Amino acid sequence: QGSKMMGAGGQPIIVLSQGTKRESGHQVQIGNITACKTIADVIRTSLGPRAMLKMLMDPMGGIVMTNDGNAILREITVKHPAAKSMIDIARTQDEETGDGTTSVIVLAGEVMSQAQQFLEQKIHPTIIIQAYRAALEDAIKLAEEKFSRSIDVNNDEEIKTVVRSCLGTKMISKWMDLAVDIALNAVKTIRVDKGGVNEIDIKRYCRIEKIPGGTIEDCKVIKGVILNKDVVHAKMRRRIENPRVVLLDCNLEYKKGESQTSLEIVREEDISKILEQEEIAIRKQCDEIIALKPDLVFTEKGVSDLAQHFLLKAGITVLRRLKKTDNNRLARVCNARIVNDTCDLREDDIGTGAELFEITKIGDEYYTYVTSSKTTACTVCLRGPSKDVINEVERNLQDALHVVRNVMLNPRLVPGGGALEMALAHALVEKGKSIEGVRQFPYKAVARSLEVIPRTLVQNCGGSTIRQLTALRAKHAQSADNWTWGIDGCSGKLVDMKELGIWDPLSVRIQVLKTAVETSVMLLRIDDIVSGTKKSSGGDGPVKEMPM
Amino acid sequence: LQMVADSILAVNGARAQGCAVRTQNTTAVLALSNILRSSLGPLGQDKMLVDDTGDVIVTNDGATIIQNLQVVHPAATVIAELAKLQDEECGDGTTSVILLAADLLSRAEQLAQSKIHPSTIVAGYRLAAKEATKYLKECLSIEASEIGESALHNPAKTSMGSKIIGPYSDIFSSLVVEATKLVKVVDAATGKTTFPIKAINVLKAHGKSASESFLVQGYALNCTVAAQGMPLSIKDAKIAIIDFSLQKAKMHLGISVVVMDPAKLEAIRREEMNIVKNRVKKILAAGANVILTSGGIDDLCLKMLTEAGVMGVRRCKKADLKRIAKATGATMLSSLANLEGEENFDASQLGCADEVVQQRMSDDELILIRGTKGRTAASIVLRGANEMMLDEMERSVHDSLCVVSRVLESGRLVAGGGAVEAALNVYLESFANTLSSREQLAVAEFAQALLVIPKTLAANAARDSTDLVAKLRAFHNKALQNPELSHLKWAGLDLEKGEVRDNKEAGILEPAMSKVKAIKFATEAAITILRIDDLIKLEKVEQGGRAGQCG
Repeated sequence: QGSKMMGAGGQPIIVLSQGTKRESGHQVQIGNITACKTIADVIRTSLGPRAMLKMLMDPMGGIVMTNDGNAILREITVKHPAAKSMIDIARTQDEETGDGTTSVIVLAGEVMSQAQQFLEQKIHPTIIIQAYRAALEDAIKLAEEKFSRSIDVNNDEEIKTVVRSCLGTKMISKWMDLAVDIALNAVKTIRVDKGGVNEIDIKRYCRIEKIPGGTIEDCKVIKGVILNKDVVHAKMRRRIENPRVVLLDCNLEYKKGESQTSLEIVREEDISKILEQEEIAIRKQCDEIIALKPDLVFTEKGVSDLAQHFLLKAGITVLRRLKKTDNNRLARVCNARIVNDTCDLREDDIGTGAELFEITKIGDEYYTYVTSSKTTACTVCLRGPSKDVINEVERNLQDALHVVRNVMLNPRLVPGGGALEMALAHALVEKGKSIEGVRQFPYKAVARSLEVIPRTLVQNCGGSTIRQLTALRAKHAQSADNWTWGIDGCSGKLVDMKELGIWDPLSVRIQVLKTAVETSVMLLRIDDIVSGTKKSSGGDGPVKEMPM
Repeated sequence: LQMVADSILAVNGARAQGCAVRTQNTTAVLALSNILRSSLGPLGQDKMLVDDTGDVIVTNDGATIIQNLQVVHPAATVIAELAKLQDEECGDGTTSVILLAADLLSRAEQLAQSKIHPSTIVAGYRLAAKEATKYLKECLSIEASEIGESALHNPAKTSMGSKIIGPYSDIFSSLVVEATKLVKVVDAATGKTTFPIKAINVLKAHGKSASESFLVQGYALNCTVAAQGMPLSIKDAKIAIIDFSLQKAKMHLGISVVVMDPAKLEAIRREEMNIVKNRVKKILAAGANVILTSGGIDDLCLKMLTEAGVMGVRRCKKADLKRIAKATGATMLSSLANLEGEENFDASQLGCADEVVQQRMSDDELILIRGTKGRTAASIVLRGANEMMLDEMERSVHDSLCVVSRVLESGRLVAGGGAVEAALNVYLESFANTLSSREQLAVAEFAQALLVIPKTLAANAARDSTDLVAKLRAFHNKALQNPELSHLKWAGLDLEKGEVRDNKEAGILEPAMSKVKAIKFATEAAITILRIDDLIKLEKVEQGGRAGQCG
């Protein structure tokens, strides 16, 4: 019975590939929670008006200075899979609403850490999850029905209040009024009413042009397009009123075909013939343009010296090598159509919408302005002392733009400064008392974890956390009308948000709740991590056996 | 003896025989099933799989877990294949099929240890499986029409129950049922109705919350129109679907054209453009106002399309195009050439739809094709907190879609929550007692093995599994003994409260077909491994020279 030796002899039986590592049970749950808490701790200090900036260095030596949750986490490389999903939610929040990225991470971290006590008490994760989800649903309903108010989107003052409270936490808060005006103007410019639905496409039609130098006070919204370009030939006109514009995306130079062609010349005169032919081709292109008598030609590709010469003679100003996105925006400003081949040019392709074309020199560089008061595309021109500052201002402004958009699309507001969270926490705790069984504890835990927002606000401005928080809790318990009371993030005192005028868009806060709770739910369901699973190639992992 | 065998083989390798092989195989299979064990049932947990590049998958789906594990043991791979098979055939029940196979195997191993010949066990298992499926079909299944509309929603909910979308099962079950109904196809020739769930496109967009997922009637494409100036909405769309790029014609690499006359050069250049221009003209002439292509569209053509007011969409996925072609009745063309070597585009190759629109969704834009003429199509857009969650939601929705289409096709259901397994266990035990041969032992063990499902369900819910399963069996025994109490055969576990209830009433239902298949597949897999009594593993030739070390 020689064969028996193998089984009984304790030789390991290899089931999984030898590169796999497996963790399971309690250890995994605790590991996930710790990972989430760690991520939350990283950006905890970036919440609220007394937020601190983070300076991040990437491997290339570049610097990012920011207090935007998403921008910070984007730069951090993490290994733990749960931490990765935390970073992912900051991105989701940013894409969906553009604001509240710090809150979502802080809240998710807190919701996760609240779960730890229940896991240690051996409550089944699914019970915790059910309670969490019930709490989320109730919180959303409460926020929508009870703790929010609607505003009139056409009232600039009201929208300004919202933007102000969003920017209050950012670096740009020192130039508050300016930033608020910029954001409001920009969004109003690009708002298009499409059959009753407001279309606000910030990504495509609102460009932010950063020009280092000057002061932040010089920032402004330009109704039109700014290009960091100069005319191709110094003699061309630099200022044209009501220009006729041609937009091209082809070369104005002689280009070979796509197929590989070679030409064998056997006769001497052929050389001059070729050169002549090239000249004729360009001449023809230019003639086709000139025939339409435009004042301005923009092209995405190059313009040869010869073409410059012809067009200059015809008094046409030419700019070359535009970006596709810039060209699209120009098309929207000028009402022109982008043409690919000069022989297809027609009168109705020409844009006449622009009111002024002007090139000015800012600092060392030339900038082209194409403006029109009626346009629906705009450029925000940012100025500032250094590139890093401008970058941060840009991020702030992005948030502000999104806030304006969110309010315009969903005109409901909730009180900021942790007031909404506190109000929800209070209401949920009350409601939790009527829940039967074990479930009420995790349900109330969600309520408690909402308090992390006011708590962090107090912490970040150096207030007395426990005193202020208990005072706030008492305030909310006193009367149902006190739902607008929150923390003044600058002084750490209790304030009525109605007086302070801190209001956030409902859509942002609700998205924060949804994303934070749903991510925790997903992470809490996990009881096993298997790492080193296959990626088709396989077999290159280190060797490890799985003894049974 | 083994040394002799090795020398006969005349190659280097390890060899294991007899009992040892079975022990080894069983251990391997059990190891695999232990990984999956905790993800079974409504209170099961998820696994996080991290691959070597650091990508993360969070899942509860047995097939996905197994596929991503690098299983190397030969017996374990048989089981891994089994999960794949079940996934392809039924789409659901992958975890339970593996648990069942592993338990069958470990019980067989014990029988073999007590010197019962494997072939007897095999015969017993075969007999038991046959008897079980027969009894299941005859006595334990319910006609779907008997229950009405909830016959579709409930199995979908049951399948979702264990997944991440479980708490939202109300929303998702109606999404899934609606979607499946939308893609109903009646074969004109045979009159058979099928539900090709592949026609349901599941899209993912992060943001919002899972409960805000929605169904779109029509096909949703994750693309945008190629140029800004194109119309964003077209009514009465005539759709051309092409599988080549609308770009300047270009010779293949390495082909070079040599010309003598300089004028020809310009001619070549013009011709390159004209070829593609003519193609576009032909398509437009046929009346197309929407062009979907898997390749690119040149700026040159964009202008032509924009001017004609045609919607052009480039870089669509080929799989999407194929489905759209089916849905709209269009022909997907890989070139315009016809048999005569000419290029033409016929109007009959166009597909029709009521409307094609581009719609904004969170940060993204989608193209929706509504009211397709050929077949109806449906798309489900999933929303969720992050990528991993969406991936898992997609898998869960797919499973439920499979379940619903199975119910619609076969129309028979069984009660879930361990009800079927317990009933079969009781039945097979009494059946075993009627056998007077050695198979009796194997059949009895088979019956015991079925209990692994209710046991694991109870254990995952942190309940006393011994106690619950005993109660459950008592109910089923009554149902079997006393025909008047036959309604007790629907008794299954209520894991929330930890008691036994009527799962038919509670709406915990599963398609009968997937249960039957699960039993069959598990038995077959167990038998395959059971029949092995010799394992020869050859070493790689270049690594030779270690001969004789084994054994």
